[in-house]
Amino acid sequence: MSADGKTHRWKRRILGALGVLLLAACYFVGIRYIVRNLTVNEAEAGESGRHYVALVAKSTTSAFWKSVFAGANAAGTEYNLDLTFCGPENEEDYETQNKMIAEVVEDGAEVIVFSSVDYEANAAAIDAAAAQGVKIVSIDSDVDSTAVSCRISTDNYEAGQMAGQVILDSGPEDMKVGIVNFDKNSANGQQREEGLREVLAGDSRAEIVAAINVLSTTEDAWEGTKQMLLEHPEINVIATFNEWTSLGVGYAIEELALGEETFVVAFDSNVVSVGMLETGEVDALIVQNPFAMGYLGVECAYNLINGTDIGETEVDTATTVITRENMFEEESQKVLFTFD
Amino acid sequence: MKNRGLKKIISLSGVMTAVVVGLVLIILVSVLIFFVQLYDDSIEQNSVISSEQAARQVLNTVENYTGDMADTMELIAEYIVKSGEEKEDFFESFLEIRSDVAAITTYDAEGRLLDCWAGERELKENYLRNLSYAEIPEEAGLHISKPHVESLLEDYYPWVVTISQKMRNENGQEIQVFMDIRFSNIADYVDDVGIGQHGYCFIQDTDGDLVYHPQQQLIYAGLSEEEEKLQELADGSYIRSNVIYTIQSLDNCNWRVVAVSYVDELITSRVERMIRICVILLLLMLLTAIVAGSLFSWVFAKPAKRLTSAMGDFEKNAANFRFEPVEGTSEITALSSSFGHMVLRIQQLMEQVRQEEISLRKTELKALQAQINPHFLYNTLDSIAWMCEEERTKEAVEMINALARLFRISISKGHELIPLEKEIEHAKSYLKIQNYRYKNQFTYHFDVEESCLPYFCNKITLQPIIENAIYHGIDRMVDEGHIEIRVREEEQAVVMTVEDNGIGMTQEQCVEILQKEPGDRTGIGIKNVNDRIQIYFGESYGLRITSEPDVGTCVEIRIPKLKEERQ
Repeated sequence: MSADGKTHRWKRRILGALGVLLLAACYFVGIRYIVRNLTVNEAEAGESGRHYVALVAKSTTSAFWKSVFAGANAAGTEYNLDLTFCGPENEEDYETQNKMIAEVVEDGAEVIVFSSVDYEANAAAIDAAAAQGVKIVSIDSDVDSTAVSCRISTDNYEAGQMAGQVILDSGPEDMKVGIVNFDKNSANGQQREEGLREVLAGDSRAEIVAAINVLSTTEDAWEGTKQMLLEHPEINVIATFNEWTSLGVGYAIEELALGEETFVVAFDSNVVSVGMLETGEVDALIVQNPFAMGYLGVECAYNLINGTDIGETEVDTATTVITRENMFEEESQKVLFTFD
Repeated sequence: MKNRGLKKIISLSGVMTAVVVGLVLIILVSVLIFFVQLYDDSIEQNSVISSEQAARQVLNTVENYTGDMADTMELIAEYIVKSGEEKEDFFESFLEIRSDVAAITTYDAEGRLLDCWAGERELKENYLRNLSYAEIPEEAGLHISKPHVESLLEDYYPWVVTISQKMRNENGQEIQVFMDIRFSNIADYVDDVGIGQHGYCFIQDTDGDLVYHPQQQLIYAGLSEEEEKLQELADGSYIRSNVIYTIQSLDNCNWRVVAVSYVDELITSRVERMIRICVILLLLMLLTAIVAGSLFSWVFAKPAKRLTSAMGDFEKNAANFRFEPVEGTSEITALSSSFGHMVLRIQQLMEQVRQEEISLRKTELKALQAQINPHFLYNTLDSIAWMCEEERTKEAVEMINALARLFRISISKGHELIPLEKEIEHAKSYLKIQNYRYKNQFTYHFDVEESCLPYFCNKITLQPIIENAIYHGIDRMVDEGHIEIRVREEEQAVVMTVEDNGIGMTQEQCVEILQKEPGDRTGIGIKNVNDRIQIYFGESYGLRITSEPDVGTCVEIRIPKLKEERQ
């Protein structure tokens, strides 16, 4: 072999060795990169990218809604969601609610968990939000929109029926019933009233002598009830359908000292209405499960964000009838008194 | 051949790649299994340990808390014997300080409510039910009730537990003291205890009723529940499918701390990630193996193949094979160079053997040439003697001269090749002698081109053929025979023909005569002539016999045009 050939061979060998070294280097750098990327991705997924879910409620002050928020918070913490709550000051103010919907959409809410003040008047705002790609979960009170992915609420009609059944079971012999309902446009109140009327219509002992609609405030219900009782002194049964009107009715009964004579079926519970149940102004409470509503609403929102199956699109949360007799039973305690 | 084809399919590089890939696969998978197992075990163990630690911490805190309750009861016992204002002052300030105490109530031995201190809260005038009061069991120690709602106070319904103890009042009467405590303090603490991502602690009593659970409200709202029936289990850690429960009991009351952690979420996600990484690694390895395989083939297998085909070529044509060295790894180069050496050596040996064979043949043939058919010599000498007897001196002299020439040329100083002129002279001498002996039974004629005479040919080429023509062709003839000898020059060769008009031969005899060793009687033999020409000049030269029975035989001798003698 000539000297020239020899140097050529050496050159080739060195080049080959360099190539192999380079390949090996690339290889290890590549592996490191891939492995690190995999690890980092998982770590980052937990940190950033919290999804924003907005809960737009009917009200923010009642014990019912506080319990809804508590449930929503429990789910929000569990699923690591960015959760906000808002609601109008009074429960007839659908315009403020519409504005709030627009605001949370503006802020980038991915899902709105919504409880409608007005079945029809809120529909346009909800449809507009849905048009921007926001998913809608309805809780407690429904809205007239096809954009709603899932409805979670008490079976309001059934709850009304339960109220009627309690009246028939435990009420006085001859029943002159007065109904104190809240805003006529709110879907859940109307459904409860329908349920009640359906059950009472089936029994000849019961007669509905008066039905009024009041604003969803204690004061208005108080005044309205007083008025109704003065106009119809024969009334010995009163049914009312939410937390504020329940208090109003209770206070009216207390003021007129009709606790013994009048059988009152009220809705929802708070410290005051429980006290009234104990002292006799109120005789039965139809207690919903607001905590579950909030929790399930937010859980459903989480599932919608992740595109997982949300199961049924209509979820009924449990309703319990609490009377003076069973209010301190172990199970009733759990339903009636929030644990905080 | 089939076998060979199969072998070709499983090439060295293929085997190598398969081996590398297989090895990598086996190693990676076994490492993965081993690692996952190890990881699983250690994580599980870690989970159990951290679960136990968390439970222990909660236990300590709760124990402090219950210890504090016991202390409080002792304090109450100390002041309950006091009378009047001192007692009232104590309870008032005590309830002010201890905001977590909802109410302290005392009852007489029959269970009638004696006193109630509730700070700013008011005792209901007509309480519907008293959830705080219960018969105090006889056994000593701290008695803590199940959680319940405070039912005695106006507009205040917190969840409390009731601690009860029998005491004696200032008058020495036995009374029952009940203290309702909101356990929000431990609740906050228990809420903050986390084990892993979703693990938590909760407190239950020995009956399995929840005392405090971070998701108590969820459970009360019917959205969640603890699936395991834990109240039946003794203290310790339990691994249930993917959940680790660690249970520890408090010493001073009937509460138990349960730590719940999820092995699954800890392990599964990491193992999944590990598997994903390993799969990627595996793919990379596979790629590497393929690259390595082809590299290997390039570096090792390809030269090996070249070497193999070179060997195949060598096998087919050893003599004319020329070996080109193959480059590659050191092993291949070593193989290649040894093969090169071997090829050269074998070729040398082959050449040597050939040379040795030729010289052996030559020696053999020379020895044969030296043999003069003794019968021919006796007969000739007989003839000469007979001529002398009859005083045909002239003829005898001619005869002797011819014989002398015959021998002289036969020997030719040991040279194998002699000029054609001499050979023809040799043939003529022989024919002269034979013609005397056979008493002119045949005639002969030479037709030689002058230009051919200087060319060299093997000695004693014509004589055996003429001998054959006389003995086998003419001797048995009735008529007078004739032998015609022609020598002419062609473009590439000198062609001599010996033609007789004797009895001729069959085709088989013609072939046979060129292959059969001559018998004793005949001299050198036709085969010998042919062999010698071919050894010296190659296969393209030699004898060709054409014959026809009863017509005659023609033997054609072809030799190269060789001007100088060579050895």
